[in-house]
Amino acid sequence: MVMGASGSKLEKALGDQFPEGERYFGLENFGNTCYCNSVLQALYFCIPFRDQLLEYYANNKTPGDAEENLLICLADLFMQVSQSKKKTGVIAPKRFVQRVKKQNELFRSYMHQDAHEFLNFLLNELVDILEKESSAEKDSPQSSSPEKVPNGPVQPLANGVRKEPPVTLVHKNFQGILTNETRCLRCETVTARDETFLDLSVDIEQNSSITSCLKNFCSTETLNAEDKFFCDKCCSLQEAQKRMKIKKAPHILVIHLKRFKYIEQLGRYKKLSYRVVFPMELKLSTSDDVDTEYSLFAVVVHVGSGPNHGHYVSLVKSHNHWLFFDDENVEMVEESTLQTFFGSSHEYSGNTDHGYILFYEGLGGKS
Amino acid sequence: MATNSSASGAGAGAGAGGVTAAAGLKTCFKTPEGRYKLQYEKTHSAAVLHYNHGGKTVSQLTIAYLKEKPAGQSSMPSTPSSSSGMRSAAARLLGSGNGNRTLSFVGGNGVNRAVSGSSRVGGGLGTSTGLGGSQAVANYDSKGTYIIFNAADTLFISDLNSQDKDPLKSIHFSNSNPLCHAFDPEAKEGHDLIVGMGSGDVYSMSLRQQLQDPGRKPVAAEHYNKGDKDGTSTGSRCTYVAWVPEREGIFVVSHSDGNLFVYDKCKDGNTECTFPAIKDPVQLMISHAKSSKSNPIARWHICQGSINAISFSPDGAYLATVGRDGYLRVFDFSKEQLIFGGKSYYGALLCCTWSPDGKYLLTGGEDDLVQVWSMDDRKIVAWGEGHNSWVSGVAFDSYWSPPNSDGTGENTVYRFGSVGQDTQLLLWDLAMDEIVVPLRHPSSGSPTFSSGSPSGHWDNACPPTGVLQPSPRMRDVPKLSPLVAHRVHVDPLSGLVFANESIITICREGLNKIWVRPGQNENNQQSDSSELVLGNAVSKDRVITSSNKAGGSSFKQPPSVLLT
Repeated sequence: MVMGASGSKLEKALGDQFPEGERYFGLENFGNTCYCNSVLQALYFCIPFRDQLLEYYANNKTPGDAEENLLICLADLFMQVSQSKKKTGVIAPKRFVQRVKKQNELFRSYMHQDAHEFLNFLLNELVDILEKESSAEKDSPQSSSPEKVPNGPVQPLANGVRKEPPVTLVHKNFQGILTNETRCLRCETVTARDETFLDLSVDIEQNSSITSCLKNFCSTETLNAEDKFFCDKCCSLQEAQKRMKIKKAPHILVIHLKRFKYIEQLGRYKKLSYRVVFPMELKLSTSDDVDTEYSLFAVVVHVGSGPNHGHYVSLVKSHNHWLFFDDENVEMVEESTLQTFFGSSHEYSGNTDHGYILFYEGLGGKS
Repeated sequence: MATNSSASGAGAGAGAGGVTAAAGLKTCFKTPEGRYKLQYEKTHSAAVLHYNHGGKTVSQLTIAYLKEKPAGQSSMPSTPSSSSGMRSAAARLLGSGNGNRTLSFVGGNGVNRAVSGSSRVGGGLGTSTGLGGSQAVANYDSKGTYIIFNAADTLFISDLNSQDKDPLKSIHFSNSNPLCHAFDPEAKEGHDLIVGMGSGDVYSMSLRQQLQDPGRKPVAAEHYNKGDKDGTSTGSRCTYVAWVPEREGIFVVSHSDGNLFVYDKCKDGNTECTFPAIKDPVQLMISHAKSSKSNPIARWHICQGSINAISFSPDGAYLATVGRDGYLRVFDFSKEQLIFGGKSYYGALLCCTWSPDGKYLLTGGEDDLVQVWSMDDRKIVAWGEGHNSWVSGVAFDSYWSPPNSDGTGENTVYRFGSVGQDTQLLLWDLAMDEIVVPLRHPSSGSPTFSSGSPSGHWDNACPPTGVLQPSPRMRDVPKLSPLVAHRVHVDPLSGLVFANESIITICREGLNKIWVRPGQNENNQQSDSSELVLGNAVSKDRVITSSNKAGGSSFKQPPSVLLT
């Protein structure tokens, strides 16, 4: 009943501005599954991902005997929400959570889990399932190439080491390419190696911005002393300069703030409550001097002072409104509320709600 | 004020040093012209902040140069009569109740601070002074320099030149938080201080009267509420207030809903006043009040989302606004026309200011950049890279002159400062002859490849008549590097002011620091500027060679061009 009340309150708040066809559902918590709920909400409101997943689901109606997997469970959950008669309410993602626990023993306990680890696990699991399916399709003679995506010029990766993997809907949305450049300081030879990524994990500093964290992520570091680089040309360990460049910007840019840091002296992880501001808009400049513009649409927030306990909530932008999802509760918030999740300038402050994973969507237009 | 520097110093400096040393902050920083030293800190005691009317406030700073009171004039400003009831007859008593000035014993502005210890709490606005007609109160008739800042539900006034850390005066507001304020040093009569509230309401008052009153409420304040009688609109908090230069008594207030209201202090505050509905929030729409008695006299709907800051050109001809949508807009204020504008690299713009000659504008924002705009060219001319977080305050140093100025005047060099949420104060030199062409190509900082062609297209990158220009590309804008970057506070900064003898920085929590200029302090070494730069190279403060030295090579290279 309480949930119903919260739902109708949201409907009342939105009034006739309630977006056509949109559904805002809270997710029931099955004992510390907020890490899962918060990530699910962010993914659900990642519209291209949601649409493509639902489309996949519609085209791959499981003929009963097909094996249940995480992809089907997720698509099924998205379907339940999007097809619901009611505009608001609460759904129990029971089947999905059971599947997660079955699949990965890490998430089986009732312990507090890391939302980023979960996101990582989920996306990689989806990739595996989709790739398996598409290679199975390839093997069957009658089907021609699977969905070939007009994903811009798909350049062969440098050094020709890796073959182009099948492009899944996860790749289409989240995959970007980094170039890891190393320049030997003796012979000046540059070795470049491309790596794909589904999200960027960035180190954070007190009183900094996401812009600055990303800049540091891409900044040049010198490899020396214990950490020299083996130069193929010099055939020996040499001092070198290394840096990461973003070669291809992803459509959905997921930034993970490394708030949980292992402190050697303590022998355990510690949460960094640093104030890291993040703007509503962001640009990534790729190595070919093209700026990709992004707009923030979801933030997964870690609530709590330590890494082993606490809570996750998420803030999601839908049709120009910001919504706050806390398990089964959903409410509307002002955009300015996001500023309360930047972190704090003092180590010991009352505020323990900190932005942890940021989701930016590419605006398509290149500026 | 000449007395302050000798009297000041050591004591306050040491005290402040002790406090900040604990936080790992230095109490001085070096520039080519010498050393800036932390002279005083000014803040509020956290204990006075009892109430916060919802939402966290960010402290803002206003500097007020109060002129000597003209002889024979009563302290009571001759504002028009009002039915608001905010003004009290008691205030009138005050003006004549001043005792003789006694000698100052604390330095500062030379006011007698024998304030009665029995300041009362409670009582309605303006009524608390009624009983105290004969009390010995400070008269504040002489000139003085004050800093005004807000925190939670209170506005604080401190004497800039005294070593007291605590404010002279706290003004509590009972309904809402004061968020922004402005002082008109040229006000000939009446109110000179305006305060914008979280509720969207505005108060005007006389600074001198507030100082003279021992109470804790605003006295003789005029209240303006832009006509919404319900007063509950949450989206319309005041974001900035400004007096219009050269237009006695006219002030403007910007709001978080993209509106800006123009008021006349000589008209009644509480008038029925409605403006037409805004049909398209993205479109500029200027409406005038129907009645000549109405206040506000006009509403400018400028943009979607908040207007974050506004600034008038020194002659009052132009109004600049920056906002959530990332655009700077420059208006001809009297013609009510948009002259030009342009967008940040990305994200909202948070602050803006004019150069003293009105030729350049600075903005800062959520892209961590300081943008320099040219009024003549009507376009962006440079980006300042150096902050590691959002830029929250920008200001030109109108007191600064180039140390080695040869007097030819061919190359104007401007000094400006910026503060950010990275807790840093950055000082910059802007030499315009170097801005004409890009100072360097972003890719030249690369440790490996160089890509990109010479950006000869820079000159024609601007649309000829484009009113609002889109974001330029990173490589197309010349870059500036700071002269000095210094971490000055523990908390993110919210503003800075250049005063004659000092730079004042304020953090979001309401701590002010006064950095006295080189040469203002007797133990400041007078040394050749170039030597100082060299000597500093090893210090932790990053001193970068002045930008007016020849060639772009002295500029600090950015760590990377991939994302800025």
